[in-house]
Amino acid sequence: MQRARNIVAATLAAIAVATALPALAQWTPTKPVEVIVHTGPGGGSDVLARAIVTMMEKEKLVPVRMQVINKPGGNGAVAAAALSEKGNDSHTLGLVTSVWIANALTTAEAKVTVHDLKPIAQLMLEPAVFAVKADSPYKTLKEFVDAAKAKPGALKQSGGSVTSRDNIVRQQLQHATGAKWAYVSFPGGGERLAALLGGHVDIMVIEPQEAGEQVRAGKLRVLAQLSEKRLPGYPDAPTLKEAGFDIQPTPQVRGVVAPPAMPADAAAYWEGRFARLRETPSWKKYVADNQLEEHFLPGEQFRASIQEISKQLREQFVLAGIKVVR
Amino acid sequence: MEVFSGLLQGFQVALTASNLTLCVVGVVLGTVIGVMPGLGPSATIAMLLPLTFKLEPTGAMIMLAGIYYGAKYGGSTTSILLNVPGESSSVVTCIDGYQMARKGRAGAALGMAAIASFIAGTFGVVALMLVAPPLAQMSLAFSAPEYFALMVLGLTMVVLLAGESLTKAVLAMLVGLWIAGMGTDLFTATSRFTFGRLELLGGIDFIIVAIGVFAIGEVIGNMELEKPAQMIPVPKGLRNLLPTWDDMKRCRFAFLNGSVVGFLIGVLPGAGATIASFLSYGIEKGVSRHPEEFGHGAIEGVAAPEGANNAETGGALVPLLTLGIPGSGTTAILLAALVLWGFKPGPLFIQDSPQLFWGLVASMYIGNVLLLVLNLPLVAVFAQLLKVPSYAMYPLILGISIVGVYSVSSSMFHLGLLAGFGLLGYAMRKLDYPTAPLVLGLVLGDPMEKALRQSLMMSQGDLSILLRPIPSVLLGIAALLLVVPIFKKFNAVRVQVIDREA
Repeated sequence: MQRARNIVAATLAAIAVATALPALAQWTPTKPVEVIVHTGPGGGSDVLARAIVTMMEKEKLVPVRMQVINKPGGNGAVAAAALSEKGNDSHTLGLVTSVWIANALTTAEAKVTVHDLKPIAQLMLEPAVFAVKADSPYKTLKEFVDAAKAKPGALKQSGGSVTSRDNIVRQQLQHATGAKWAYVSFPGGGERLAALLGGHVDIMVIEPQEAGEQVRAGKLRVLAQLSEKRLPGYPDAPTLKEAGFDIQPTPQVRGVVAPPAMPADAAAYWEGRFARLRETPSWKKYVADNQLEEHFLPGEQFRASIQEISKQLREQFVLAGIKVVR
Repeated sequence: MEVFSGLLQGFQVALTASNLTLCVVGVVLGTVIGVMPGLGPSATIAMLLPLTFKLEPTGAMIMLAGIYYGAKYGGSTTSILLNVPGESSSVVTCIDGYQMARKGRAGAALGMAAIASFIAGTFGVVALMLVAPPLAQMSLAFSAPEYFALMVLGLTMVVLLAGESLTKAVLAMLVGLWIAGMGTDLFTATSRFTFGRLELLGGIDFIIVAIGVFAIGEVIGNMELEKPAQMIPVPKGLRNLLPTWDDMKRCRFAFLNGSVVGFLIGVLPGAGATIASFLSYGIEKGVSRHPEEFGHGAIEGVAAPEGANNAETGGALVPLLTLGIPGSGTTAILLAALVLWGFKPGPLFIQDSPQLFWGLVASMYIGNVLLLVLNLPLVAVFAQLLKVPSYAMYPLILGISIVGVYSVSSSMFHLGLLAGFGLLGYAMRKLDYPTAPLVLGLVLGDPMEKALRQSLMMSQGDLSILLRPIPSVLLGIAALLLVVPIFKKFNAVRVQVIDREA
């Protein structure tokens, strides 16, 4: 009887070991990993990618070298195509932003979009604030909107491309309040800020870290923030809702994707690595220094997040009269 | 006095063994990547960024800045020797630099590029140190209408770049403007002239066109000659290679012009080194007493743009360090680096981190001296390259061009573009169309269009915004530049008629 029980136990143990084996022989990268970004050197995604590579190395999370590959052009379209061509490669990743989602809606030439790639993880949201010059007559966002309503088209906002978050939140505010103000596109963040500081435009949407230094120097005033909760760096600036505007700004996400047919074990490996990365002190410091909003989502939830953002952007583009191609 | 004590403190920082080493590493690396077409300072700095976390920030900044201004020294080398621009800011150096090399004066051109770079680069650092904060404030007065007028002024230089026929020059410029319009439009998110090609969504990189029409076009044109081009004699000894005292005297104004124009354009966040080099070249030819020599190897045509692109470095650091505004790709990476190291670039940066600011300024004085010492002896080495016979030289030029373009784009499509522009350059040469106006249109077209549309968005479509004081003056000068040659021509005809009647 005892022996029989032992045999059963041994068999069970053997089965347990056998089933556990695939888990033990987990996939790990065996050669250098390429991280594809859609900006040139020094662009937002490029800098983030290089920071991630450095942190992964420093925290010894990945046993191989990771290198950043720039595939600029077409606001993510070229990079998406490059990722798609990798097919089932397990040693290629891509960093995506909301720009890729907006671009998928407006660019007919893009045969491959972010929707065709395999989502690995959403990393963060990029918060932003509405700022005016420190000597501006507008003390609150409401005062600005009221002034814009009184003189339609006379006030100006500087920002990026017409499909960027800066313009979308303007469209939402205009739609909600009936106010109208002009939107002037500048290719670089430096030029947008210079236009505001020089008094050529009246308001801009700016990253909290960048705005912080201008506020400290007494050059800018922050009227409201675009995040859902107040940022630690801006305890006194109201969110849009608190400022009296019932609009839900479309979040600006950053996340990681992979070639469309990356095997499930490799995808799981990468999702796990990024989940580990966010627990590290290096990552926490990076997020705090840059005043970002940590918002981790695993692969499948990131896919849903992308789809939701795409839906919101499509509505906004249609309202704004921007041509949507798919 | 404050400047003096600051600088003293800066030299104490910059002259420590580790920082001095980093400065040397930076400027040597900068020279090397400057010499190589394609790979530019922004890509190099981005690649080195992860390494800098292990360094002390002041030293890291000294090294990265060294790469930035070191590349401007190296950029002229291939422009002069091979007609292949090493950096986009050395494109205009090809025009006279390459002609000088063909006349056996490559050494003088290379030497002058280094000397002009040194003088203007040092001027840029002095100006950065002395006038940065007030000048940065003044630069904010410059906005879209002012940029538009500046670009128009730049475009009128087509008159100066034109050879025999102004019509042909204008046509070439219009092709350049057309190419500049390709890609995704920032204001409406629609694609223009992309022919359904994904690769054209980002427009065509200016350096591909410049290498194509200058270098490849030149090689094809030369291969056609039945007799191989005469071997160019290279004088022996460094002393005989370097510019003569007469050359230096001829370039007096070019040094000043390059320094001032380069620095001022550098301060403006919306311009850049390439535009600075074109403008200073135009001014140099415009005021020259022998403008007919330009395009045929005038040494001022090397000194002015090479000076301008170096003075631009000091200028570009002004808005970056005093306002926290990056004006170019390279300064944007430097800004990102500062944030990554835990600094807070912004209006209070110099006040908060005097050690880094003054250490950087002092290191730039040292770096410029190092670059001069490094580059002058190299002239002797590089000048020997011209002894290479053409059957080896042409494949070398083609190889360098292809590697340069591929290192920027890593795409076969862009190599196809390079070949296409090479053929265009050859055709233009055969039909006697000048190629410089095409490149000029391409450089200025995009910022000019953006500035005009931004101006009109600001003024709700009212054109009178272009008549603000600064744009009025700039547009006035532009109009004058256009009218004077017509008047001269009219005068010449009138004199002929009077002669005939007499």
